[in-house]
Amino acid sequence: MTNITGKTYAMNAITPMKPWKTWLLRTVFFILGHVASLRNDLVNLSFIHFARWVIIPRQGFPHVTEDQPYEQLKYDYLLFFSNFNGTWNQYIDAFSSVLSNGLNQIWRWSEKFPGSVPVTPFKQYIARVQFETDFYYTAYPHAATNDVKAAHRVTDALHDFERQSAAMNPEQFEKAYQSFLVKVQRDLGSTGMAPVGT
Amino acid sequence: MSKLNETDIQGFVLRGYNFPLARYLFLELLEPEATQAFLDALLPSITTGQHWDQGKPDATINIAFTHKGLTQLRLPEPSLLSFPVEFLQGMKARGGVLSDTDRNGPEHWDEIWRDERVHAWLGVNAQCEEALDKCCDEMRQLAQRTGGAKIIGWQDANALKIDGQWSSKEHFGYSDGFGNPDYIGFRRTHQPGQGKLLPDGTWAPLATGELLLGYADEAGELPVAPIPHLLANNGTFMVYRKMHQNVNTFRQYLEAKGRQYPGGKEKLAAKFVGRWRDGTPVELSPDRPDPAIANDKESNVNFTFGEDQTGARCPIGAHIRRTNPRDAFGFETRLINRRRITRRGLPYGPYAPEDQPVRDDEERGIAFMALSASLARQFEFVQQQWIEYGNDSKLGNEKDLLLGNRQNGGRFMIQGDESGTNPPFMCGGIPNFVELRGGDYFFIPSMTALKMMSTGTVDPR
Amino acid sequence: MPNQSGSVYGLTLLSPIIGDPHAPVSHDLQLRLILGSMPRDHESPFAKVDSTHMCRLTVMNDVIYVGMPACEEHLQLQYLVFESNFDGDLETYLRRMAQQIPETVDAVWSHCLGYPGVINPDAFVAYMKKCQVTTTFYFADVNDKTVGQTLTALQTQSAVGAFVERNAGVHGAPLQQAFLKLMSDLREAPAPQPGSGREDANLCAVAGAGASSIHE
Repeated sequence: MTNITGKTYAMNAITPMKPWKTWLLRTVFFILGHVASLRNDLVNLSFIHFARWVIIPRQGFPHVTEDQPYEQLKYDYLLFFSNFNGTWNQYIDAFSSVLSNGLNQIWRWSEKFPGSVPVTPFKQYIARVQFETDFYYTAYPHAATNDVKAAHRVTDALHDFERQSAAMNPEQFEKAYQSFLVKVQRDLGSTGMAPVGT
Repeated sequence: MSKLNETDIQGFVLRGYNFPLARYLFLELLEPEATQAFLDALLPSITTGQHWDQGKPDATINIAFTHKGLTQLRLPEPSLLSFPVEFLQGMKARGGVLSDTDRNGPEHWDEIWRDERVHAWLGVNAQCEEALDKCCDEMRQLAQRTGGAKIIGWQDANALKIDGQWSSKEHFGYSDGFGNPDYIGFRRTHQPGQGKLLPDGTWAPLATGELLLGYADEAGELPVAPIPHLLANNGTFMVYRKMHQNVNTFRQYLEAKGRQYPGGKEKLAAKFVGRWRDGTPVELSPDRPDPAIANDKESNVNFTFGEDQTGARCPIGAHIRRTNPRDAFGFETRLINRRRITRRGLPYGPYAPEDQPVRDDEERGIAFMALSASLARQFEFVQQQWIEYGNDSKLGNEKDLLLGNRQNGGRFMIQGDESGTNPPFMCGGIPNFVELRGGDYFFIPSMTALKMMSTGTVDPR
Repeated sequence: MPNQSGSVYGLTLLSPIIGDPHAPVSHDLQLRLILGSMPRDHESPFAKVDSTHMCRLTVMNDVIYVGMPACEEHLQLQYLVFESNFDGDLETYLRRMAQQIPETVDAVWSHCLGYPGVINPDAFVAYMKKCQVTTTFYFADVNDKTVGQTLTALQTQSAVGAFVERNAGVHGAPLQQAFLKLMSDLREAPAPQPGSGREDANLCAVAGAGASSIHE
């Protein structure tokens, strides 16, 4: 059982919601899906590969056989799955520092959510509603999402440069190479293991 | 917010004394009763944060304790166990977090650190040798007379004397001592650029609780602290690290790469750190050092990286950009505000002029200290995520050029532009310029806490 | 479409786990043991289903009681959670699972209620779809590149970094020659294996010495 593979952490959380509040959350997600700002902030923070929220209404747990008992629940449930880079503390600190509004809009409908600021009670809440990952696979364990994005930029720039420089003489080539370096100069970090979790 | 009671806070926390000499005494504490007597006798001599309106003293004395030291003092169990985990474990056990492995591992440390024998740090700073020796003698006698402590080691440290003058240089030739943060309630000259960046582009001091326990911090709460309140308030945590510098290796590397780098050796040195060796921030003066800026308190820490996203002025991986990214990650400085540290300390070892031969194995380095309300969230984070790693700067696994603990070379990319005079340049095959020779985590108590410790009246309930 | 972001599909499955009070080892515990020892590197079954960017499998025991005044309640069954982020459409992915890693799928889902096996792919796909819950809000930082493109890009980035370091101070014709060799090395390099974290390894073997600070 491990939450971490390579540079990526698999977080799972489940929180209860009073059913009448679920509709408010769906509205929030609808708006967020159509307003760029939360997605932009997530892209700028740049430490999540993939994340999803899944609302499971109290009657929405999958029912696959006839004799399977139906769930008898009072609450709807909000499931959260994240694939992020960095340590658990770092992740939550960052969200609390710069994305507290967005987080509050999503989790305020969950029972006993204390708000994402200040950070200590927020961390206690997450620790309580988080459950462990038994198996976690990533196709590129030594790459954070920053590394992935940098790699794509380098690849695109490299192919452009190869095309443009194909017919150049050495002098022209070198000049074009300098331009290529300027294009990729921030994207040549190496990949590897992540620092230990704290 | 509440006004700071400067007489309750140890002076070392509130200000860097700017004395040129120091001797850090490392103590083993003996029988608790004798130690209490020692502390009791020591108390009147401890330098507080009180202002020196009558002129500076010749020497200052401050004291801090490791967790083992607090345990030896027989603080009550609930108090001892309420300290943050990383302080409880001590710096040696945190080696995995800090990358204190291989050449920086404990097997290479001085014996008192390797064996975790240090219970207390007694910091003596002085204006001259006589004052330093006199003060340390007094400490020695006090320890002997009370039988409360034994001096098991010490570290001499001194500003480098260059051409007969005390300088602020360290052994790689850089002027040091910039960049300490500014906190609410601290009475000192405020320099723009020390604190946090507000949305309107002005600077404001950081919340006091980022350094001092018992005050509101940047997260809008009281920092996690040990119990009881009286033990923690007005106190802080300190990391002490003896950082050996391989001066010869550094000079050779700078020479060799400086010959290849079109901007020349001094500009290369500036790109390594983000400041020219005279202290001029590269961000404000990318082409040449500028003493007018370097010596101007209004300018020399007053800059941001927001307009330099490409790193063409100050490389993305430059030392000061790594350790204090300011607004480089966006969101003003909100991702940085809780990662600031207050640095203290001095170089150790004799000054070696640039034109004289020097050896790596000579004792030269920095007695480095950093103060913060949380070791884990502040010092350890910067060390682990920003020095020994580069993901937040989008540099992948690249480490800090000066401090990085590399096993097999490393890369440092100097970003440039297409002007012709500032081309991109990659430095490879980077050796380890700095090696760790020991250290530990300390708690610096307030005067009130010291009194309680010396009278055995710490009561967690 | 909530399950999709660009070209990446976010699949969330909750499969009820068999609750057999007479089993000597309960099914959820058996599952945990299997999942705990499943390889996560290039030997991982999900490396074979190589359209998988990232996925997790975990046993969700119960809902969590957050404390008064919230009410305490419990699930009747436990659920196996399968969260996957992959390229392409759902049908193709599920069929690939049935075809490429049938033993793994059997070993895992045989502990779940109503699992029909993989012999009949249609029945398998129908079963998995029954277990699917809709993703309400899906975020993918990079949503327009496949796993293969990503691994190749990482391999390229690593090679370019090593090239730039190796050729600092090289000019003119030798630089151009070296570059042409780099491009041909990259074209010939075998595709990196998913899950291995060794995107650079193959190219190093082909290109020879020079790469530094890449490995752990």
